[in-house]
Amino acid sequence: MSAVMTIAWRDIRSYFASPKGAAIFFFFLGLMGFFFYNFVVSFVEVQQTAPMRGGEAPTVEYLMRQLFFNQHFILMLFIPAVTMSSFSEERRNQTLRLLQVSPVTATQIVVGKFLAAASFMALCLALSAVYPLFLRGYGNPDVGVIATSYLGTLLFVCGQIAFGLWISSMTSNQFMAFLFTMFGLFLLLILNWIAPNISGGGWAEGFVKYLASTEHTDVFLKGIISVNDVVYFGCFIALFLFFTNVVLDSQRWR
Amino acid sequence: MYMIPPSNPCYQDSREIFMIEVSGLSKRFGQVHALNDVSFTVPKGQIVGFLGANGAGKTTTMDILCGCIGADTGTAKVAGYDVTEQPLEAKRRLGYLPDVPPLHPEMRVEDFIEYAARLRKVEGARVKQRVGDTIDKLSLGDVRSRLVGNLSKGYRQRVALAQALVHDPDVLVLDEPTEGLDPNQIAHIRELIRALAGHHTIILSSHILSEVQATCDHIIIIHKGKVVQQGSYEELVAQMHSARVYRLRVQKDPDLLINTLRSVTGLVNAHLDAHEPSTVEFALAGGVGEDVIDEVARRAVEGGYGLRELALKTKSLEDVFFQLTK
Repeated sequence: MSAVMTIAWRDIRSYFASPKGAAIFFFFLGLMGFFFYNFVVSFVEVQQTAPMRGGEAPTVEYLMRQLFFNQHFILMLFIPAVTMSSFSEERRNQTLRLLQVSPVTATQIVVGKFLAAASFMALCLALSAVYPLFLRGYGNPDVGVIATSYLGTLLFVCGQIAFGLWISSMTSNQFMAFLFTMFGLFLLLILNWIAPNISGGGWAEGFVKYLASTEHTDVFLKGIISVNDVVYFGCFIALFLFFTNVVLDSQRWR
Repeated sequence: MYMIPPSNPCYQDSREIFMIEVSGLSKRFGQVHALNDVSFTVPKGQIVGFLGANGAGKTTTMDILCGCIGADTGTAKVAGYDVTEQPLEAKRRLGYLPDVPPLHPEMRVEDFIEYAARLRKVEGARVKQRVGDTIDKLSLGDVRSRLVGNLSKGYRQRVALAQALVHDPDVLVLDEPTEGLDPNQIAHIRELIRALAGHHTIILSSHILSEVQATCDHIIIIHKGKVVQQGSYEELVAQMHSARVYRLRVQKDPDLLINTLRSVTGLVNAHLDAHEPSTVEFALAGGVGEDVIDEVARRAVEGGYGLRELALKTKSLEDVFFQLTK
């Protein structure tokens, strides 16, 4: 087993060794279920009353898009909970020393931790697929769109995890890591709402819009996989993993 | 501790001889000068005690030696590999027990040791065997499937020692290994450390003098970030006494004896012990052989003073330590 896998495997197991992993599963899926129920109920209501009001009935795709968009906000609460412990807890327990004195590089540590958090969240997402599957039993949602939506969400989640790891690497206080990660992720989600308020020409607005993660996930939710958006998430993940690496390396010199 | 200046050609191919080479380490934390030009070497197979008061710079030195933090100036080499230049090679040959044991409380003892073995790049096929051997060596068999977080302090310390030992490193760095243990556990850990010497080169830090005295071949005393003295216990004590001091206890008339002794050549500073009136203390001048002692004994016996005791007054390490760190 390589160093990366050793580190990742230990971290994955630690999510399940404490009640933390179970709690995250429980609340994430519970919240998803709650919103799913509510969305479906109001969707059915709107669909039934639409002809009476003379409007067009919403499609199942529309419902799915709303569900996934809503999921992004829910994830904003859970990603910080997953990543906050990655480095902060190790630092508090002094177990970071164990990694520091082992013949492994900072990059291996960062990638290992990233893979652990990403696979944990991937499992979370996979379990949440029960809701779209449920819809399939009663309606006819497009499986392709569901698949791209999940791909987009997974990329989005990986980006958020990379950001969370970076914050976690800078503090030994898990609560601070949680708070700052959540704030940062929130900012990323709402950047495209802020963008129109930016004066100073179209390019600044365009740039800020480009930075907003929602802009890129929306494309996936429409059933499109575009290189542009995959590259965006790839760069996003790489950038923050690189930052985490820098933080870990630089700590030797402080 | 053989201090060879860097200009000496022997130093160039010292890879085999010195397992730890530290030269000119300095480290500042803000305004605090934690280390100031610390240099020492440790030959293969020796146990070296790193003695100093709290805050003297022991942990900082060990952290630098293990590559946890970087030094401002100076180099640290483990088995000939510079910890900054070739960290992976150096760390492969290094086991570190930090002052706070790095334990994952939610893991089982066996899993934790296996994790440490894999992190330390023990070959996949040998992992199980190394983990088993380490568990046996540290008598952790009874608790192997218990959670680390539920263990008592003594067991936890042993598990922490296991993670440092599991990859069979050439160099073991132990930061206050017996801190907070009960006397039985201390004795056990000390025995273990002594048993590890020879095969492993060990450097252990402590602020407990008797511990260093009991386990170490060589002692380095560090104070306020500087190495103030190094050598074997006997050497350190001897250095403290450029003139050797002896105690002579007689049954009667010690003051008369003093007058007799004053005429012996090579004998200086004969006086009565302030605490024990029947005891005379005297020292030998530098360059004088121990034959003088024969003369002293002869005079004490022939004068009918009733010789009861004639001994070298050893200074404890504590005296040395206090004297150096005053």
